[in-house]
Amino acid sequence: MSDLVFLAVSLAFFFVAMLYVYGCQSLKGGREDA
Amino acid sequence: MTTNGWLQIAVFFALVLLTAKPMGLYMARVYERQKTLLDPVLGPVERLLYRMTGVDADAEMGWMEYGAAMLIFSLATLLLTYAVERLQHAIPLWNPQHLAAVEPYLAWNTAASFTTNTNWQSYVPETTMSYLTQMLGLATHNFWSAATGMALAIAFIRGIARRETRKLGNFWVDLTRGTLWVLLPICVVYALALVSQGVVQNLKPYDMATLVEPQSVTTTGTDGKPVTSTVTTQTIAQGPAASQEAIKMLGTNGGGFFNANSAHPFENPTPLSNLLEMFSIFLIPAGLCVTLGKMTGSPKHGWAVFWAMSILWFAGVATCYWAESQPNPLLHGVDQRVESAGPGQSLNSGGNMEGKEVRFGVANSALFVTVTTDASCGAVNAMHDSLMPLGGLVPISNIHLGEIIFGGVGAGMYGMLIFVILTVFIAGLMVGRTPEYLGKKVEAYDVQMSMLYFLIFPVVILGFAAVSVLSPSFGTSSLSNHGPHGLSQILYAYTSAAGNNGSAFAGLNANTHWYNSTLGITMLAGRFLMIVPMLAVAGNLATKKIVPPSLGTFPVTSSLFTVLLVGVIVIVGALTFFPALSLGPILEHLLLRSGISFS
Repeated sequence: MSDLVFLAVSLAFFFVAMLYVYGCQSLKGGREDA
Repeated sequence: MTTNGWLQIAVFFALVLLTAKPMGLYMARVYERQKTLLDPVLGPVERLLYRMTGVDADAEMGWMEYGAAMLIFSLATLLLTYAVERLQHAIPLWNPQHLAAVEPYLAWNTAASFTTNTNWQSYVPETTMSYLTQMLGLATHNFWSAATGMALAIAFIRGIARRETRKLGNFWVDLTRGTLWVLLPICVVYALALVSQGVVQNLKPYDMATLVEPQSVTTTGTDGKPVTSTVTTQTIAQGPAASQEAIKMLGTNGGGFFNANSAHPFENPTPLSNLLEMFSIFLIPAGLCVTLGKMTGSPKHGWAVFWAMSILWFAGVATCYWAESQPNPLLHGVDQRVESAGPGQSLNSGGNMEGKEVRFGVANSALFVTVTTDASCGAVNAMHDSLMPLGGLVPISNIHLGEIIFGGVGAGMYGMLIFVILTVFIAGLMVGRTPEYLGKKVEAYDVQMSMLYFLIFPVVILGFAAVSVLSPSFGTSSLSNHGPHGLSQILYAYTSAAGNNGSAFAGLNANTHWYNSTLGITMLAGRFLMIVPMLAVAGNLATKKIVPPSLGTFPVTSSLFTVLLVGVIVIVGALTFFPALSLGPILEHLLLRSGISFS
C-alpha cells in the first residue's frame, strides 16, 4: 500500500512540475514551438 | 591556525586553479561535439546508445522540451531506485549480508535524495543497502544526476551564447556525452588512485575481527532495566566502495558508502586521498567557469565568475579555520593550544578537535567542511554537529547562498548565472539603462523567472523548518540538542535538502515518517522547481538579438563586476536567512561565550 502511495506522490510531483513548465512559459505570453 | 595548515589550503587552491582551464576547455569541446582524444573509443559507444534508444542526436530542443526530457528521465530513475531498494531482499545478487527490503518511507526519501544529487542519507548504509542497491540504485544515480546538472548548465550557457534561436541543445546527447566523455574516464582513473590509497573495492561478505580488548557495553533491556554484555568481536564492513567514492566526490553527490562517509578509513584513508577528494569536488565546477568563457566567446567573463567564487570560498574557509582553531570556552582546564615539538612534529594540533579525525586535523577538516558545502557535495570528513557555532555557521551559510561557490556540478554554474542576471539587472538600475548581459537585453520576464528561482529556495526551507520547530511530537522529538543548536539542526536539515547538498548536522534523527517525507519533497522542490525557471531564462535569452556594447553597458569582465556579484550574492543570502541564523548559530556562539550550553 505504501508503495502505491509513494508511486502516486512521485507521479503527482512530476506532473505538477510539467504543469509548472507550461506555467512559466505562459507568463511570457504564449507557447514555445518545442 | 598554523602555517602548515594554510600551506595545505594553498596547495588545494593551486590545484583547482591549475586544472580549471584544461578541464573547462575539454568540456567545451565535449559539449560542442568537437574532436577529442577519446572519440575512437567512446564514439562507437555513443552511436550505439543513440541507435538503441532511438535518439536523433542532431535534433535540438527548445527549453520546454529540454526540461520535459529532464523531468521524465529523473522520474524514471527515481522509480528505478525505489524499486531496487524495495526488492533488494528478493534479488539473489550481491547481498551477502542478506539485508531486508528498505522500508517504504526511507526508500522513497533515498530515491528522491539520489535523483536530485542531494545524497541525504537517513539510513546506515552498512546495515541497510545491499551491494546491488549501492551499485545499481545509488552509484548509477551519482552519474545520472551529475550529468543532468552539467547538461543543464551547458543549456544555460548556450542560451547566453546563441542568438535568435529557440534551441538549447539535445538533453539526451548532453547527458550521454557528459557521462561518457567527462565522468566515466575520470572516475576510472580516480577509483584506481583511491584503491592505491587503501579504499576497499570488493563484493565480499563483511569481515569479523576479534577485539584485542573486549569491551563492556551497557544497553537497555526489553524490561527497561540496564543490561551489561561483553563484546569480543567487531564487524568490518566491506564492499565496492572505491568505484562509488570516485563519482561521489567528482559528481558532488556526497552519499557515503559507509555511514561515517569520508571520515571512514575505507573511504578516505590518507591525507593524499583527502586532498584528492576535496580537489575532485571543485574540479568540474571550476572548469565550467572556463567552459562558460569559451562557449560565450568571453574568456574574461568566465574568469570574473571564477574569481567571485574564489573570493567567497576563501572567506568561508578562513572563517571556518579560524573558528575551529579557537579553544572551546566550556572545556575548562584543557590545554587546546597548538603545541609543537619542533619542525613538523606537532604534539597538539590545537583548537576544537571534537568530531574531527586526527588524521586530518583542524585545517583539513575546516577546508573539507567549506568545500563540501560550497559545492552541493555533502560528503563529510568531520562531524558538522561538533563544529564550533561560528564554524557551523560557515557550511549552513554556504548552502544558503545557493551553493554557487563553484557549486554542484552544473547546478553551481546555472545558479551563479542567475545571480549574474540579477547583478546585471541591479547595475542597469543604478545607471538608468536597460541592463545587458553579454549583448543580450535583460528584460522583465528574465528577472521574474530569476526571482521565482530565488524564492522557491527559502520558502521550502523556512516553511518546513518552522512547522518542525513548532511540533514537539514529530519535529523537535528528533533533536539531540535543544536551544539554538537544536534550531540549527532542523534548519540545517531542510537547508541541506533544498540545496541538494546532503550533508547532515548529524544530531537530528531524520529517519522518521515526518522527516523522510518532508525532506524528500524539499529535495525534489529544491532541484526541479528551481531548474524550470532557470531553463525558462535560458530559453528566453537564446531568442534575443545581440546588442552592440554602448556607454551604458556594464562590463561583465571587470573586477568591479566580480565585486558587485559577490556583494549581490551576500546581500540576497543575508536578507533571506539572517533572522533564522541569528537565532541559531549566532545566538549559540554568544551563549557559549557566556558559559551556557543546551543538552
